[in-house]
Amino acid sequence: MKKPKDLNLETLSLHAGNKPDSDFGSRATPIYQTSSFVFPDSETAAGIFNNEMAGHVYSRITNPTNAVLEERISSLEGGIGAISTASGQAALCLAITTILGKNSHIVASKSLYGGSHNLLEYTLPRFGIETTFVDFRKPKSIKEAIKKNTGLIFGETLGNPGLDVLNIELVSNIAHKKNLPLLVDSTFTTPYLMKPFDHGADLVFHSATKFLSGHGVVIGGLLIDSGRFDWNSNKLFKTLNDPYKGFHNMKFVDEFGPAAFINRARKEGARDFGACMSPHTAFLILQGLETLSLRMERHISNTRKIVEFLSGHEEVKSVSYPELSNHPDYEIAKKILPKGCGAVFTFEIKGGYESGKKFIESLNIFSHLANVGDAKSLVIHPASTTHHRMDYASLKKAGITDKTVRLSVGIEDINDLIEDLEEALKQANR
Amino acid sequence: MDHTVWTLPVRHFLRKKRDVLAIDLPGHGRNTDKPLSSISKISDYIYRFLDKNSIPEFCIVGHSMGSLIALEMASSQPERVKAISMIGTAFPMQVNDALLESAKNNSQIAIDILTFMGYSYSSRIGGNKVPGMWMTESTKRLMQRSKKGVIYKDLKACSTFSNGLEKAQKVIAEVQLILGSNDFLTPKVKAHDLIENFDNPLVEEITGSGHSLMMEEPNKVLDYLKKLFKNF
Repeated sequence: MKKPKDLNLETLSLHAGNKPDSDFGSRATPIYQTSSFVFPDSETAAGIFNNEMAGHVYSRITNPTNAVLEERISSLEGGIGAISTASGQAALCLAITTILGKNSHIVASKSLYGGSHNLLEYTLPRFGIETTFVDFRKPKSIKEAIKKNTGLIFGETLGNPGLDVLNIELVSNIAHKKNLPLLVDSTFTTPYLMKPFDHGADLVFHSATKFLSGHGVVIGGLLIDSGRFDWNSNKLFKTLNDPYKGFHNMKFVDEFGPAAFINRARKEGARDFGACMSPHTAFLILQGLETLSLRMERHISNTRKIVEFLSGHEEVKSVSYPELSNHPDYEIAKKILPKGCGAVFTFEIKGGYESGKKFIESLNIFSHLANVGDAKSLVIHPASTTHHRMDYASLKKAGITDKTVRLSVGIEDINDLIEDLEEALKQANR
Repeated sequence: MDHTVWTLPVRHFLRKKRDVLAIDLPGHGRNTDKPLSSISKISDYIYRFLDKNSIPEFCIVGHSMGSLIALEMASSQPERVKAISMIGTAFPMQVNDALLESAKNNSQIAIDILTFMGYSYSSRIGGNKVPGMWMTESTKRLMQRSKKGVIYKDLKACSTFSNGLEKAQKVIAEVQLILGSNDFLTPKVKAHDLIENFDNPLVEEITGSGHSLMMEEPNKVLDYLKKLFKNF
């Protein structure tokens, strides 16, 4: 039989989750800028509170504008549902705290965004959640790091900033053999470049601040559940297997089956921790998603040209981008990231720290700031900024030196960008 | 596919202090018994379960294949069944041979086809009443969890169910049919003969819904169930 024709990513990114507004026919998703929703009667109120009816109560937990965004990202990733959060960090915290608590353990890639590293290394231990950081290129080290109380394996599709390409299939196989889920930060790749669920990931989160919204105007996060992990297979996940006193002894695996995780995350984490996304932010991210594929095409084509330009430049010591044959993940990148390895990469300038500083300060089009994934091109020095809390050993493990410069390539005219870089490189070692 | 599709209405009737069972059929969900390939065998299986638990009288709600089970149970022991709700139903419930063949090994293509046909065009784009949940992928995930052979045997049981109209005439219970106007798997016109052969059934049509009525219109389905069961 012929497979039915599902809608493609380019169509879903414009339409998924949204129907024209039933009151006025608004084609754009309306911004439901309200804290609460009026119940038509007491019985409906009780029904929605008791999770026997669908509906909205309070925008900290659900909101119709956010729900469109949550459905849309679920459709793009191939997930069963999602929760929008105040930031990518909030999405990571929500994922972890939904399943883990005191005396639990995470195995994480050593190559993580500085904020995520900080959360795992310094903050979560205060709450009894420890993390072992390992090189995800070495399967043996992952296996060896797994303990009896390990409840999660965590990596980034493209490590920040060294662009380690996560071999999701390999790592998820290791995780699943131990009945553990794999959580993946897919911020740098977006579903346009790769869908981690297709390769075996169980949970995905994004900093939607970056490429998904695409214009550097919001802070937001998205946590998506594949619905594939069998939470019932590992009794370590007490929050999903045991009765939850906070909701009339609800047992999430019993009542929601594949959707146990995402329901617990909303009914506990979104409700109690409260790191929700504003409906206006959700609206702006929806606007960004509408042009995701167009922007990503341009981000990638510009990046490839800049990587080529820098790779051959006499003032540049090295360029780290997985499409270059000297990158340690060149082969796996070809396999799982055929459309491109993102628009964020690092390079080292000749001359060391002072030259790097001069280079950054000489750029005119590239903005010097702590963000990536903007339509506008960006630059930063990770060792002194985004990753400054990491000690020397951790920086080295993550592939960062004091000469490393990180670029986030935007969608401007490529000739203008190369001219800007050329001029700054000239200034760097003067 | 398993008891979780009934979570919302079950929670409602439990809150109303009604005794509710959401049964995983043999081979479905956590039921480790072998899947059965005929509606009458499944009906007998449920009767054995009810007898074992000393439940003499009851109402039945069934969706799709479950609606045929409800019909079979209400016609085989009419005095025990007080009301039935048949959601997304038709008779005959024919299944394409090619789909049956591809369902034999729980193939992904069978799951994709059943999901695609199981939703209205509009619901395939989303707009879930349950916030943040993507309906079609949720349905696929439930089917992917099925044990080998379950989807095939379910489809086979539907397609070989016979004498539905004669059985409808034997039913003395209150009957309700909840139909979706955009149901591609059990189009509402295919319920016409059943409606004609029941004694004064309640027919509720949900405009715009496809076959996955509990997913697409959970609140309307619950409203109709409340309406049916208010006297029981």
